[in-house]
Amino acid sequence: MTTLDAQATVKVSQLQKSFGAIPAVTDVSFEVYPGEVFGLLGPNGAGKTTSIRMMLDIFKPDFGQIAIFGGAMDEAKKNRIGYMPEERGLYRDLRLEPTLVYLATLKGMSELAAKARVAQWLQRLDLYEHRHKRIQELSKGMQQKAQLIATLAHEPDLLVVDEPFSGLDPLNTRLVKQIIQEQADVGKTVIMSTHQMYQVEAMCNRIVLIDRGHSVLYGRVDEIKRRFAGHAVNVTGSGDFAHIPGVLEARPPGENGAWHLALQPGAEPHELLRMLACRSDIIIDRFEIAEASLDDIFITIVQQPRGEAGDA
Amino acid sequence: MRKAWLVAKHEYLTLVRKRSFVLATLAFPLLMAGFIALTVLLAQGASDERALGIVDLASVLVDGVQPVNNAHPQFLPFADEAAALAALQAGHIQAYYLLPADYMQGGKVQLVAWDQDPPAASQRALDSLLRATLLTGQPAAVQQRLTSGVSLSVRSTDGQRNLNQSNAVNVLLPFVAGFFFIYAVLSSAGYLLQAVTTEKENRTVEVMATTLSPDHLIAGKALGLLAVALTQLAVWGAAIVVGLVLGATLEPALSVVQIPWTLLLVVLLYFLPSFALIGGMMIAIGSVFSEMQQGQQVAGILNLLFMAPFFVLITIFANPDGPLAVGMTLFPTSSFLTVLVRWGLTTVPLWQLVLSWSLLVASAAVSVWAAARVYRAGMLHYGQRLSWPAVCAALRGRATDENRLRSAQAANEK
Repeated sequence: MTTLDAQATVKVSQLQKSFGAIPAVTDVSFEVYPGEVFGLLGPNGAGKTTSIRMMLDIFKPDFGQIAIFGGAMDEAKKNRIGYMPEERGLYRDLRLEPTLVYLATLKGMSELAAKARVAQWLQRLDLYEHRHKRIQELSKGMQQKAQLIATLAHEPDLLVVDEPFSGLDPLNTRLVKQIIQEQADVGKTVIMSTHQMYQVEAMCNRIVLIDRGHSVLYGRVDEIKRRFAGHAVNVTGSGDFAHIPGVLEARPPGENGAWHLALQPGAEPHELLRMLACRSDIIIDRFEIAEASLDDIFITIVQQPRGEAGDA
Repeated sequence: MRKAWLVAKHEYLTLVRKRSFVLATLAFPLLMAGFIALTVLLAQGASDERALGIVDLASVLVDGVQPVNNAHPQFLPFADEAAALAALQAGHIQAYYLLPADYMQGGKVQLVAWDQDPPAASQRALDSLLRATLLTGQPAAVQQRLTSGVSLSVRSTDGQRNLNQSNAVNVLLPFVAGFFFIYAVLSSAGYLLQAVTTEKENRTVEVMATTLSPDHLIAGKALGLLAVALTQLAVWGAAIVVGLVLGATLEPALSVVQIPWTLLLVVLLYFLPSFALIGGMMIAIGSVFSEMQQGQQVAGILNLLFMAPFFVLITIFANPDGPLAVGMTLFPTSSFLTVLVRWGLTTVPLWQLVLSWSLLVASAAVSVWAAARVYRAGMLHYGQRLSWPAVCAALRGRATDENRLRSAQAANEK
């Protein structure tokens, strides 16, 4: 349950960060509230990880404001945060259970409570049998789940997970998805950065899309999809739909036999229909306005020239 | 600080449970025990309890006079050489000395042995016997003085330290202690380098950075590894004490070893800043390089700076107050070992100790300060080493970043 009336768990405004002469983040703002799964999206190198690192006080911003749990980051607040970075890592030559207990105690838990909590998570994620193994002896998927336990064991109020499904098989992907949703359901704040748009559509209440250091799209997922409705059409018929003027991306027919055409910004569906109807090499059996997927929206926003994105 | 203690405990327990550490720590006591056992076995095998014969053709011996230290085989007088030879052939004595009739003029003595010379201690016993004999009739104090020789002590002008030249063990002890201390410091610092690069290699550094401050993380690691070094030294120290106690029962020279309290104080004073100095260097190296192997190459060169006194040991032994020895006493990386080596050889002037320790502490403070900054700059550089300009920028620019953050946070609070 998202409660926008509540105090924001995370509030970042106008963040800026450069590394030497290279700007990594130029203007990123968003707020995240308790009980929501918030999607942090963007192409590679857009500035997502740098924004997260500034938010978590790993990097110092050049400019901008950050509030975590209503104020500046301090040591006590670090105990309320669980972070699973994109660059995964646990101590490879140590054994699984003591490593997880150690990390949980560093987050403020007593050793006794940490042992009990870690044991519960190990059982839930089918790692209990492997608890005495060295981490390097575990498979990549197991290490991924172990990392998730390290993120969750201390019962954080804010979860920041970067690509949480990479390296997981479908079964474990479903399990991790379920766990993330449970965390949000009990009022925890979840920030999820991923490229898997269908996961974002399925899980996130709100998103921010960062492109070239700017937040270019921000809001509720359903509202954004509504806003972008009409930016894609499904067409059934014969002819070459791959090279149509005004079409940003044309996906060949899928199971339903229809071409999915994502429109360029400014292009209107009725203009496209008129143009197709006038062409002798194309026959249209069916033409409908498609509900825009986040994938389409992502591509539309990211491929348009800078300056227009902000207006999207 | 709770988190720093947790890190320290984790680092300590992780390391002392490693097989390589256990082997390295126990190797020395085991070697020492083996050496003592070998010495005992050899001593037992070589000992010959039979008396030594003495044929006094010069008529200098006096009945009842014995060597001053009579721990060695007793002397059995014979009236003539034939009787002594017969006793030797019969195996009643292990050898006999023959004092010729002109002994008083030439001082020559013959030793007749079967197939193996008696031990050198027998020779010393004969000397002692003859001295005691020749001094018969002199006052007891004169006899004692002449038989014992001089006992030379070198004392510092402030009266704080005494150096007893008659005790070689006390000369060597600081040198040996110095070797062990520097070995423990260097190996622990090596582990510190490993601990820092491991965080980067394992990609755990980002999780740690969101868990505790870099300063607490580094302090915890350094404390844990300091405890490791102290554990190693405690084990070795105990081995040395046990070795000396056991050794004293076999070798009388060891029984006169004095506990060097002032040396212990110097060791305590130099140990911590030396550890901090090299520890800071290792953290900085670990932060600059992304892989252990690269860091070890540079660390190896730095270690040489700490081991430098060993390379010029002969010069220091020959001239412990020379310019090289003084220079190395004042140079921070070599001061600890040089002071210990010189301690057994000379009286190190107080001003040198004070100046050397002050320079060491100042260097250690700079090293730790720089390490914390370089660590923060380099901790997220995966797979690439931190460039030297970036290192310089980190040393110069952290305050600016903090100010920026503070102003941003202050604006945020509003």
